[in-house]
Amino acid sequence: MSTSKNNTSKQLLWIAMAGIFMFFAGLTSAVIVRSAEHGWDSIDMPIWFWYSTAAIILSSLLLIIAKWQVKKGNSPSIYVLGALALGLFFGYCQVKGWDQLTAMGMYFVGEGSNPSSSFLYVITFAHLVHVIGGLVALIITSVKSLQSKYTKDNYLGIELVSIYWHFLDVLWVYLFVFLLYSVK
Amino acid sequence: MSDHHKETFISKYVFSLDHKMIAKQFLITGMFMGIIGMLMSIMFRLQLSNPGESFAVLEWFLGSKWAPGGILDPNMYLSLVTMHGTILVFWVLTAGLTGTFANFLIPLQIGARDMASGFMNMLSYWFFFAATIILLCSLFVETGPASAGWTIYPPLSALPQAIPGSGLGQDLWLVSIALFIVSSLLGGLNYIVTILNLRTKGMSMSRLPLTMWAILITAILGVLSFPVLLAAALLLIFDRSFGTSFYLSDIIIGGEALHHTGGSPVLFEHLFWFLGHPEVYIILLPSLGIVSEVMSVNTRKPIFGYKAMVGAMLAIAFLSFIVWGHHMFITGMDPFLGSVFTFTTLLIAIPSAVKVFNYLATLWKGSIRFTPAMLFTIGFVSTFITGGLTGLILGDSALDINVHDTYFVVGHFHIVMGLSAIYGMFSGVYHWFPKMYGRMMNKKLGYLHFWVTFIAAYGVFFPMHFLGLAGLPRRYYTNSAFPMFDNLTDINSIITFFAIVGGLVQLVFVFNFFYSIFKGTKASENPWESNTLEWTTPVERIHGNWPGEIPTVHRWPYDYSKPGADKDFVMQTEPLKEGKTEH
Amino acid sequence: MTNILIALVLILLVATLVQILRVSELLSELKKQDVNEVTDKDNATQGKILLIVGVLFLGSVVWQFVNWIPLMLPPASSEHGAVIDSLMQFTMVLIIFVFFVTHPILFWYGYKYNKNKKNPVAFFYPHNNKLEVIWTVVPTIVLTAVILYGLSAWDSITNADTSDSQVIELYAKQFDWTARYAGEDNTLGFSNYKLVKGPNQLGVDLTDEFSQDDVVVREVHLAVNKPVLLKMHSRDVIHSAFLPHFRVQMNCVPGMTTQFAFTPTQTTAEMKAQEGEDFEFVLLCNKICGAAHYNMQMKFVVETEEEYNAWMASQKTVKNTLTKK
Ligand code: HEM
Ligand SMILES: [Cu+2]
Ligand SMILES: [Cu+2]
Repeated sequence: MSTSKNNTSKQLLWIAMAGIFMFFAGLTSAVIVRSAEHGWDSIDMPIWFWYSTAAIILSSLLLIIAKWQVKKGNSPSIYVLGALALGLFFGYCQVKGWDQLTAMGMYFVGEGSNPSSSFLYVITFAHLVHVIGGLVALIITSVKSLQSKYTKDNYLGIELVSIYWHFLDVLWVYLFVFLLYSVK
Repeated sequence: MSDHHKETFISKYVFSLDHKMIAKQFLITGMFMGIIGMLMSIMFRLQLSNPGESFAVLEWFLGSKWAPGGILDPNMYLSLVTMHGTILVFWVLTAGLTGTFANFLIPLQIGARDMASGFMNMLSYWFFFAATIILLCSLFVETGPASAGWTIYPPLSALPQAIPGSGLGQDLWLVSIALFIVSSLLGGLNYIVTILNLRTKGMSMSRLPLTMWAILITAILGVLSFPVLLAAALLLIFDRSFGTSFYLSDIIIGGEALHHTGGSPVLFEHLFWFLGHPEVYIILLPSLGIVSEVMSVNTRKPIFGYKAMVGAMLAIAFLSFIVWGHHMFITGMDPFLGSVFTFTTLLIAIPSAVKVFNYLATLWKGSIRFTPAMLFTIGFVSTFITGGLTGLILGDSALDINVHDTYFVVGHFHIVMGLSAIYGMFSGVYHWFPKMYGRMMNKKLGYLHFWVTFIAAYGVFFPMHFLGLAGLPRRYYTNSAFPMFDNLTDINSIITFFAIVGGLVQLVFVFNFFYSIFKGTKASENPWESNTLEWTTPVERIHGNWPGEIPTVHRWPYDYSKPGADKDFVMQTEPLKEGKTEH
Repeated sequence: MTNILIALVLILLVATLVQILRVSELLSELKKQDVNEVTDKDNATQGKILLIVGVLFLGSVVWQFVNWIPLMLPPASSEHGAVIDSLMQFTMVLIIFVFFVTHPILFWYGYKYNKNKKNPVAFFYPHNNKLEVIWTVVPTIVLTAVILYGLSAWDSITNADTSDSQVIELYAKQFDWTARYAGEDNTLGFSNYKLVKGPNQLGVDLTDEFSQDDVVVREVHLAVNKPVLLKMHSRDVIHSAFLPHFRVQMNCVPGMTTQFAFTPTQTTAEMKAQEGEDFEFVLLCNKICGAAHYNMQMKFVVETEEEYNAWMASQKTVKNTLTKK
């Protein structure tokens, strides 16, 4: 019964991620359609978005280690906490990235905005909203982990969180590379 | 599984986690919205056949602001059309139809105690309910409800200066749709996971009833396409409320040049129809599943070509993602793209044709029992043929030039999507009512309901094709501004007459429905002598569905009139005889 | 007061209905039968009704075609329109054929195979691969023909050679149309929405050399058999330029230019002779655009080359109206 529960929760998550992916596929194809037309300003990718990319990849790696550890029967707490910290840093980097954009004169709306900058804000913002969901899940997981709720035979929580977090990671890398080339 | 914790009124009828109760909540909300949507259509039909005439009812319903002296205001006309379309497409035929039958049938037909997540299921309903309340509130907004059409193309939907309904009314519309999308995503996730994971022993995919296949495919379509609509709506909200320029460019309105540059309204159309076309199949597929099931039960024959039926649904679902451009042939898109979309669109006719022929082959040499459900199923086949055929004209880019956005389109989509889906829904309600409420619906009223509906509905929508071929555009407040349409008044009067008749006869259904819930004759466990699992559950509906073990499945669901069997149906729970193989 | 009365009457009506149904159900209970069971008699009756209604339905379809075809648009008054018309005829014949084959089968099977004493059991017939292949392949072949025919028509319409066409701009706004002829040089002067001011409602750039000979009008005149290229613009919401008699339609989108090329083949005078004195070619708006969407129109006049030239000569150019200070 419990394996079937595991499967069910994982499948729910996978299908939800497919939906989320379609949301971003919609946004990015909008960029493709729009950027083919005139009046599309090019933007230099803020350096902070490079930092955030590094941060989220690292935090994903930490979650992979966390899973190994819990499988071996060790406490995954530090790794989960580390991932959480890096996740928060990711959010910080995104906000700094926006600051940098506005400093460059690339605004979301109004004078000085262009579809390319508006898209950049919207896409990074929408991604961050999903990251916030992930952070909440990571916080819960950290607390449970500190309370030693996860054991060798019961670590579904960590598994689910890491699947979702890896998804956010891959999604971000996709968006980042995509934006790198399309707002050039 | 009989945990007898005491159920309160609230936990049983309001915040219920039981899939059967949630299904009923969807059904009744859908019916309520259906009546409102239908009333709206009758109101604007009155204006169309008798332009400028005064109708006291209009003033009574809409107040003297929107129908001064009983004459409909042009802005209100557009609002009514918009809300009518929105309500019927999303509220009645997406949530009302899928929400009802997916929730009700999935656990019962695959042999599960409930959905994978009862809680998500409940949330799905309450998001839908919140969306409903907001949509209804928008009807009473000072500047009127949304009025840019159910397709809400910007800039019209983005600029309150262009039409008053694009003010607060449109805001509420967008919020409501966003909640609606969340609801249908929560529902869809649950449907998919439940069908894939919680099937009882022996219920392999190839033994699933076609209703289950249809709902599974519908849910997948929904999960993949609704997020794109959400993305489109999000960008529209930014344009409306924050001043971005995703869809807006080079606009002067009310004598004032707006700051927006660089946006593209066509972009919205692409995003919208990327959902919009799969949406019409989200509406249609559950009905395809329902009628397949009902037809097999009532012809007492296996559905002809089970595998081909599943294959055709998969093909239709796949193709529906690559045909959205047929709504945009005349937006100035690259002609080559237009050719591609014509090609993919016309391909859909192939699986559709296969389905029709398979239905006809199922009827052939059947032993047909004309329950009201069966009649609606036959009605479905008829409208599916009629509407599908006119699709060949609209899908052909060269022909679309002159019929695009005319009444030809209105006739086409009402028949193929509106009527077919509604017939499927009625068919399902009549068929599964005994399982939902333990009582039978009245047969004679059912017959009356079907025949009048069938005649009236064709009376409304068939003549619309001719209006379209005469060049009459849709979404026109009146046809009287052009002398070239003067000779069409007869046709318009006929349509309105049948619309009123068709509307009134739905009251017979509503009456029958509620009468039968309380006073209908008691139903037995398996009144239609069907094979599927839901008919093995007791009449007394219980949490968990089966009092004892969940039954095991041994065969496909369509062993009707099987040679050598002692009855004309063999339930899925009956083991195969020694040495016998399936089919 | 009347409202209360109406409500009372309705309630009474419903209550009566409930009672009638109850009584009929009780009666049948006395006779030991279930009112809601579908009997052989029901099957026979419903089967017959299906056949009758089916025949009536098909009859009414024929009736509609016979009576209403004369109300439809007259044959196309443009070159490519003739192509569309024959494609339409081909497709119509095809779908009417399929309609009148499948529907009688549907109604007939429903009637013939209703369950009764003579037809108590159905024929177990779960599938037949050969049949299924046939009815996949045949539609595929027919559709291939439809697609090829359709695409060749589409291609000839959208890839028409427009090098000699006279260029005319159609400018849409809530809720009227304006047209601008490109003039002698057959090139439209530059325009921009920011330049809209006072009488210059199209935002024509008055400093542009190409603008000077442009002609702005509120009624379009065309010379018969002379190709034109319409360039569409909108300055507020999406509109759609629909000229049903010419089989022309194209959306007008703010921030974009769209176009449609065609050649009128019949003059207004010829059409009046054929369709009646009231006949006019009109341009309609066919994309929902606001309260007066239903009344957004402009007259098109097709005339002989001489008449057209005379009319054109009487029009003022931008140079003579807007540019002069
Ligand atoms: C009582 C039955 C119905 C009548 C008399 C009716 C009538 C109409 C008419 C005349 C229009 C076009 C108005 C215009 O373009 O000016 C319309 C629009 C529409 N109807 Fe219905 N309809 C009915 C039922 C349905 C059903 C069952 C559906 C479900 C699919 C539906 C969906 C729509 C949609 C999507 C539109 C387009 C709205 C828009 O243009 O934004 N209707 N209806
Ligand atoms: Cu479509
Ligand atoms: Cu317009």
